[in-house]
Amino acid sequence: MKRTTELATGPYPQLNSDSLTIRAAEHGFRSDMDDKRRAILAEIPRLRRYARALLRDRDGADDLVQDSLERAFSRLDNWRSGDSPQRWLFTIMHNLFIDQKRRALRRKQALPLSQDVGDSIVSPPTQFESVVSREVFDALQTIAPERREALLLVAVEGLTYAEAATVLGIPTGTVMSRIARAREELRASLDDAARRRTIRVVEK
Amino acid sequence: MTNREFSESDIHLALDNEMPVEERPAFERWLEAHPDMQARSHRFAADRDRLRETLAGILDEPVPPRLSGVPLIPEEGMKGPPRLFWRSLAAAAILIVGGLGGFILGRMNWETPLSGASVADRAIAAHVLYASEKRHVVEVGADQKDHLVGWLSKRVGVRLVAPDFSGAGFELVGGRLLPSAHQAAAQFMYQDRAGARISVYVVRDPGSHETSFRLLKENGARAFYWLDNGCGYAVTGSVSQNMLLTLANLAYAQLDAAITGGSS
Repeated sequence: MKRTTELATGPYPQLNSDSLTIRAAEHGFRSDMDDKRRAILAEIPRLRRYARALLRDRDGADDLVQDSLERAFSRLDNWRSGDSPQRWLFTIMHNLFIDQKRRALRRKQALPLSQDVGDSIVSPPTQFESVVSREVFDALQTIAPERREALLLVAVEGLTYAEAATVLGIPTGTVMSRIARAREELRASLDDAARRRTIRVVEK
Repeated sequence: MTNREFSESDIHLALDNEMPVEERPAFERWLEAHPDMQARSHRFAADRDRLRETLAGILDEPVPPRLSGVPLIPEEGMKGPPRLFWRSLAAAAILIVGGLGGFILGRMNWETPLSGASVADRAIAAHVLYASEKRHVVEVGADQKDHLVGWLSKRVGVRLVAPDFSGAGFELVGGRLLPSAHQAAAQFMYQDRAGARISVYVVRDPGSHETSFRLLKENGARAFYWLDNGCGYAVTGSVSQNMLLTLANLAYAQLDAAITGGSS
């Protein structure tokens, strides 16, 4: 934006048309980059929500968002401004998330059980988490990662099956079957949690 | 399309707005005729609402500065940890170390993996504290480099090197051992001809995941930091961002080679 002011009010009487064209082109490029950057930054709250639901751990989720943003900024050319920035960013995040899960799995297989902290069902509670929301976060973690992604993209982030299929790189039919199974798993986990809560209350 | 057969999967289609509007009335009638399916549909809808409510609050949280301030660094500048070949090597190294020393590892502080930001935080605090020292900037000087590297490797628990930055104009001054939560961390201090100091910080953190290079600015110093090979690393100083990134790339290559080479 500062560049615009320079161009408009700056003393450039000696500029010939060639250099003006170059400047204008450069300006156009910059402001296009700025627009893209702004559009991407505006998506951060939703990216954080999706990452937190996927990973639960707050720092880990923000790490995933940061990695996604860095990758996005380094590949701005791959994104045409007409496309939805959200779906493009979700795709980037999906790829990073899957990489991370694969590595965690490899590590888990290789290490003794006592060190198994990768994706445990019961995680330390995040700040200000109520019992009820903790149950939801815990239940999400019991759903297999690829089904968790499908469910969250459609049921929380509001993507269509076709959009989710593009983000996840799978057929639409697979999105649907993953969601169906994820819903069953979520329901079972929430029921378990509710039962445990009832038992605790009764024991008091 | 008047009376097609509905099944359980239509519950999901309806819930996810994937069912054509004209099929809706027939579907609703089908639900009424099948109370078990209707109960299921209500339950899935309730779970979805609960999911949305629980997650909605995250949208209102203030965005952490480290996310809103992600720098626009071109990709060639970010050639940090994420390279699959080296990663697999590193993973192999971790497997071997893990297999041999699993018992010892298990008794150490495995349960609280550090976040990259906390590594950078500590690295900057240590840098700011010691880089301004005139006489006691290091504990062991570069004249005893072999002893320094051996000692810090032993205390930190990984095979370290003092990265060579002479190509970038920085010479090793020495290093010191630092406390970091329940672990020991190593700091190597460097200086250029003008007296500018930068430091390399390494702490072992077996529970951590890998990250790419990241930048943190604090107290007038900046740090590029990353997690890899079960360690947290940071290169800190008050030099330009480009210089710091160059040094971070050098440090990454040399420390990574030391760790992965050390256990094969």
